Amino acid sequence: MSIADDIKLSRRRFLQASGAAGALGIGLNKFPGFVTLTEAKAAPPPAGAGATVITKSICHQCPARCGIDVYTTDGRVHAIYGSSEHPISNGKLCPKGPLGAYILYDPDRFKGPMKRTNPKKGREEDPKFVPISWDEALDTVAGRLNNLRAKGESHRFALLFGRGWGASCAGQLGPFGELYGSPNVPIGHSSICSDGSVVAKQCLDGNASYSAYDYRNANYLLIVGAGFLEAFRPYNNNMQVWGYLRGEKVPKTKITAVDVHLNTTLAASDRALLIKPGTDGALALAIAHVILTEGLWDRAFVGDFRDGVNRFKTGQTVDPAGFDEKWVRGLIEWWNIELKNRTPKWAAEVTTLAERDIVETAREFGGTRPAIALFERGAHTHSNGIYNGMAIHTLNALVGSLFAKGGLMYQMGPPYGPMPVKADDYKDEYAKNGPWKKFPRVDLKGHEDGYLLAKNMLQEVARNHLAGKPYKLDTVMFYLTNPVFSAPNAPQWEEMLKEVFVIDTSPFPGETAWMADLVLPDHTYLERLQDAPTYPFQGFPMTQLRVPAVKPLYDTKYFGDTLIEIGKRMKGPMGQYYKALNNSENVVRHLAKGFEKELGDNGVNGFESWKAKGVWYKKPYHWRQIGGEFYEWDGRGYNRRMTPAEVKDKLLKTESGKFEIRSGKLEHEAAWIARMTGRDPKRLMFPQWEEPKYTGGGDLHFVTPKTAMHAEGRGANLPTAIALFQPTVGGHGAKGALAEIHPSAAKARGIRDGDRIRIKSALGGIEAYARVTELTRPDTVVLPFEYGHWAHGRWATAQARGKGGAHVDTVVVNQSDRVTGMANYYTAKVTVEKA
Amino acid sequence: MAKWGMVIDLDKCTGCQACTTACAMENNRLPGENWQDVLFYHEGKYPSAKLMWFPRPCMHCEHPSCVDVCPTRATYKTEDGLVLIDWNKCIGCKYCMIACPYGVRFYVDERPLVEPDVRGVFPGAGRGMWSPPYRAPNDREDWVHGVGIQPSGVVSKCTFCYHKISKAPKGVADLDEDIPELKEYVPACVRMCPPKARYFGDLDNPASHVNKLIADKRGVRLLDQTGNKPQVYYLSGGAGASVPGSRAAKT
Amino acid sequence: MATQASFKGPVNTVFAAAAIGVGVSLAIVAVALFTRGHAAFNTTSQGPLSWGLPIVTYDYFLLASTGLAFVASLALAFGVRDFYPIARRCVWLALATAAAAVVALTLELGHPLRAFWAIPLSFQYLSPLFWKPFFIAAYGVLLLVVFNRMTRPGWDYAANRGLGVALFVAAVAVALNAGAVFGMMAMRPFWYGPLIPVYFLAESFLSGVAFAMLVTYLAYGLDPKAMPDKARALLTGAMPGIFAAALAVVIAMVGSRAVTGLWSNAEGLQAFDWMVGSPLFHLELWVGLVLPLVLMLRPGSRNQPSMQLAAAVLVLVALFIGRYEFVIGGQVVPLFKGSWVPGFVRYTPSLTEWMLLLLALSVAFAVYAFGEKRFDLSATPGEKR
Repeated sequence: MSIADDIKLSRRRFLQASGAAGALGIGLNKFPGFVTLTEAKAAPPPAGAGATVITKSICHQCPARCGIDVYTTDGRVHAIYGSSEHPISNGKLCPKGPLGAYILYDPDRFKGPMKRTNPKKGREEDPKFVPISWDEALDTVAGRLNNLRAKGESHRFALLFGRGWGASCAGQLGPFGELYGSPNVPIGHSSICSDGSVVAKQCLDGNASYSAYDYRNANYLLIVGAGFLEAFRPYNNNMQVWGYLRGEKVPKTKITAVDVHLNTTLAASDRALLIKPGTDGALALAIAHVILTEGLWDRAFVGDFRDGVNRFKTGQTVDPAGFDEKWVRGLIEWWNIELKNRTPKWAAEVTTLAERDIVETAREFGGTRPAIALFERGAHTHSNGIYNGMAIHTLNALVGSLFAKGGLMYQMGPPYGPMPVKADDYKDEYAKNGPWKKFPRVDLKGHEDGYLLAKNMLQEVARNHLAGKPYKLDTVMFYLTNPVFSAPNAPQWEEMLKEVFVIDTSPFPGETAWMADLVLPDHTYLERLQDAPTYPFQGFPMTQLRVPAVKPLYDTKYFGDTLIEIGKRMKGPMGQYYKALNNSENVVRHLAKGFEKELGDNGVNGFESWKAKGVWYKKPYHWRQIGGEFYEWDGRGYNRRMTPAEVKDKLLKTESGKFEIRSGKLEHEAAWIARMTGRDPKRLMFPQWEEPKYTGGGDLHFVTPKTAMHAEGRGANLPTAIALFQPTVGGHGAKGALAEIHPSAAKARGIRDGDRIRIKSALGGIEAYARVTELTRPDTVVLPFEYGHWAHGRWATAQARGKGGAHVDTVVVNQSDRVTGMANYYTAKVTVEKA
Repeated sequence: MAKWGMVIDLDKCTGCQACTTACAMENNRLPGENWQDVLFYHEGKYPSAKLMWFPRPCMHCEHPSCVDVCPTRATYKTEDGLVLIDWNKCIGCKYCMIACPYGVRFYVDERPLVEPDVRGVFPGAGRGMWSPPYRAPNDREDWVHGVGIQPSGVVSKCTFCYHKISKAPKGVADLDEDIPELKEYVPACVRMCPPKARYFGDLDNPASHVNKLIADKRGVRLLDQTGNKPQVYYLSGGAGASVPGSRAAKT
Repeated sequence: MATQASFKGPVNTVFAAAAIGVGVSLAIVAVALFTRGHAAFNTTSQGPLSWGLPIVTYDYFLLASTGLAFVASLALAFGVRDFYPIARRCVWLALATAAAAVVALTLELGHPLRAFWAIPLSFQYLSPLFWKPFFIAAYGVLLLVVFNRMTRPGWDYAANRGLGVALFVAAVAVALNAGAVFGMMAMRPFWYGPLIPVYFLAESFLSGVAFAMLVTYLAYGLDPKAMPDKARALLTGAMPGIFAAALAVVIAMVGSRAVTGLWSNAEGLQAFDWMVGSPLFHLELWVGLVLPLVLMLRPGSRNQPSMQLAAAVLVLVALFIGRYEFVIGGQVVPLFKGSWVPGFVRYTPSLTEWMLLLLALSVAFAVYAFGEKRFDLSATPGEKR
């Protein structure tokens, strides 16, 4: 294609994105029925009978990394099924999986690198992108970066990333930041994802991680705010597990699910508890209260009264000296200062649940082994999220489920080979001791003035940049994150992105791209070679490889290579490092060398076999707690008993080497926490009840769940997903964004089913269609996120769903849990009125 | 000859719609025109409201009312017990849609369910209604059996993935996706179903797994009173006491 | 005796209006179908509603046609010579309305031309739609033959009784078959019933009588004085009585069907609530059927041309409403679509569908007016003119 042709196409690249083209109805070529006999008999020509190739790759539509079999015939991908040989997929996929082909052929995706020619930025400003060569694109980025570094302002370059996959993409970001010299490379998205559970677990058992679960051997599941059958990863495997637990398994696993509206998880469970938003911790405390007062705790793991007499009596303190704690720390103190009055009756008032339901749940959970208490965002995206999370996770300790068969554990990493070169060998003086070293991260993560204990604080970037505290950014690059749409108070990001040079790497025309100065589009996932170690799954080590099913359709570049190519253009040893690294495939090949010594269960022993099978894994998980003792796998069984020091080193990674109900981590920073939150420094280290601080100033809780069809930001532009987006409330047919509201709440506001309504908070208002339903609490309005795109493709922006303005993060206030840093997505309160 | 039938265990179904999307992609369905649908129901009041769902393919009835009413025999019953549509014979009178008590037939010359219309974005060549870029290989177009991209002016329906099951080795009792050499012959919805709530096999073979499931878990048929006698059975509860259904022998 | 000239005025007007109607509606329908296909209809698999206004139109005109044949048969098969003066007009109008029905159906079917070979070759004797084209074809041929023969000199029913009876039987078969299409649908209780074909027969006869009255007045310029004596005698003699009797039967059927449906309990019968809840139903019953019955019973009005004309028009509107309620009503309670679809399918015909009705109506009247101009529709069997 000549440059001239290319420029002609330039406007179209974004016009397609904005939905201006191609919306005409079906063709003009047919007058139904009036075809001749010959025509009627003529089926389409039998062509394309080439051989079908099956590529083993992995999905990209949620973090789970399911193995997929991609069917390609004559270069056309036409089917995606789950890989039978993949431990997560087992031949299955969730409803999003088969839609992957649509993503590859998305008519709105970018076709090559582009630069902005309209200096003005805003929702209504067409970026007027023009295509450029990759060389120009990469030189532009490197030029800016070199300049910043020359001025000693390298900290003003930030790289924000979301769904990182492995060592060949997200794994490269840390070295890039160190070599270049910016504390802001990278800033991850975990604080707008689910850090609430990660940090809560870290405070209790020392593992800053999501849990791995042994559901198949569990006889009881207590699922709190996790959308197990809609959103919780690995969704596909969760459903396989569900089928087994509810079908073949003997005995059938009983399940209680807790959430704020009736979703499929609650509907499919044995007991559905529709809890008041933000009060999940109160329920957990009451369950713990019952477990203790009724003597249901696991004595082998927790310990017992010396004389074996249960002294946990409601309202009465207990002498700590009379109790021998085994693998927990601070149980009696917890009882005395918090738990002794946390009765089901008390919790019933706080949570609005029936006391009877709380007691029955507690008795079942405490009386059934093994039992798992599982929680995610519903419980912890609140100001009191740390305590809700800790209270729930402590239930696992009370019933002895940590590292037990049928319990929960943590994920082992893959035995990757070393990278071709070491970043440390390529650091110049600037990288080692440059002026950037004295700057905090722009999000004030790990900073006394910000969020000392958080993992990331991506949601603070826009606010801090705009305030100039700690400083203003100059250039911001995005990889698989789109906070201008998905962060709380998202419109604030628009203001920030107007002020900085924005580089987007998404292949899709999202909101970030609309605000971007430079677009360096990634391959879509069926075109990539990309490693991806598993998210916490069943504990045993596993790592997948995304293998291209087709050659890239357009002039795009894998983000890992984009980064390397930018690196090569950097001055000094940094450039040398990236020249040595060469390309991302080289990185992947070096990673795979680790398998030479660690042969996978499926025979994978290096790069080629990994590429052929798409996954390396090696069972089993190495550790297990049995009857209050910890054992390590010796090659034949869990036979080698571990010393307390080994347990502390490998499993319960707290200061005490125990499950710290009295959290040493929180205690360590008690003064800071007390200063920032006003909490009592003597109590704040225990799981406890604290009223959530609701934001927004309205009278209805605003809840914005993920639905099963949400494909990591792509679901909004997938017509088939759109047609199936809100099934439980009749979203079939995709009339538009449906906000669930209870009949009593609707009636009080003069709202009838199907009415257009306005949902307002202190930040502003959005609109949706009312779905008046008994499936939602009377004090709550529910509107799934993913609606309200003002960019992202022609289907995403269509009036009924997108530009009609049902963008939930317009009205969700940016408040975070001071300890975990978790953005408080579900804590907003709104007013609702007829539009 | 087999008499293909499906068993859906409602105790295991999670309402995820993977059957729907697997079918949609395998059979190049227009968005929302779900041959294989999951219908959602609700009743009762908070805090004891009840949410339910019902996965619904074509029932491939033993005595299909749609076949009786079709004036051109475009809709027909195969020797393998399938109800199919010959797109070369269908005149688009839609009488079969009227006569089907299960609502599983589709005439898609209608306004799009999702705007913008994919038929405009991916226009069809010749008489094809549209041409999705991920469409099945051309040699799969088999209008006599209603397989392929639905042309205009005709009715379409679930084929039990005829293009897959018709290639299955003769005489197999069950098409189970967990058997590696059979998985390519398993209907898309069955193969994809994550909780494995679906089973597919030969109802005429007393030793088939589907027959055992129907017997052990007291499988019932939908709207048995219509006399259509579905070849899709639903399992629920599995108690000895259950809603009776008249499971007829050959008709 | 009237002359051709005396009724040329209104017929020309009718012809001109109908021709314009055909032109306009055909243009709109053609553009819609060429560009959007049947997506231009508001019928949908999802609603779900498969048969909409075009099928209503089709059945309406088909039953009007058979009804007109029944009226003609009073003379041609049953030898009631009082009906001789309108027999030929009725036969022609039966052809005209049948043509309208076929046009409506042709534009509604997905592949109408394919039907010509696919239906006869199928031998699907279980389907009423397999028999229907045979019945309609036989019926159409008989109409043409009768129309042609009845002006032969010395023609009388007695000598041609076989032909008259054959036509009558064919018309009955078409009407019963049209009813059976719905009556056999056991899964849709609003339609189901062994007596539904008979119900169709009664309504068909009523619409035939009403159409016959309307066109007789149209033919003579709405002026009874212009009519031949025998025609006038019919309209002031047997005709209002037969009209009233037919109305009474149909009212009894509509009423009893509504009452039975409303107070029965089965899934699908909620359609009767939908039907009775609509003002259209009351317009149909009270204004369109009961009022004309009263007019045709009262001695002061039954022989008044204006009252007869008004009654005929009201009945024709009422029967169309009734056909609409019947066809839509059987589909209005969604089968197996989950809780979230509305209790009753929401359907309003699209512009294209309305235009298809206008097209059918225009075709009927254009063909009719063409007949008035081209043939002597007033010709009375056996009489030399």
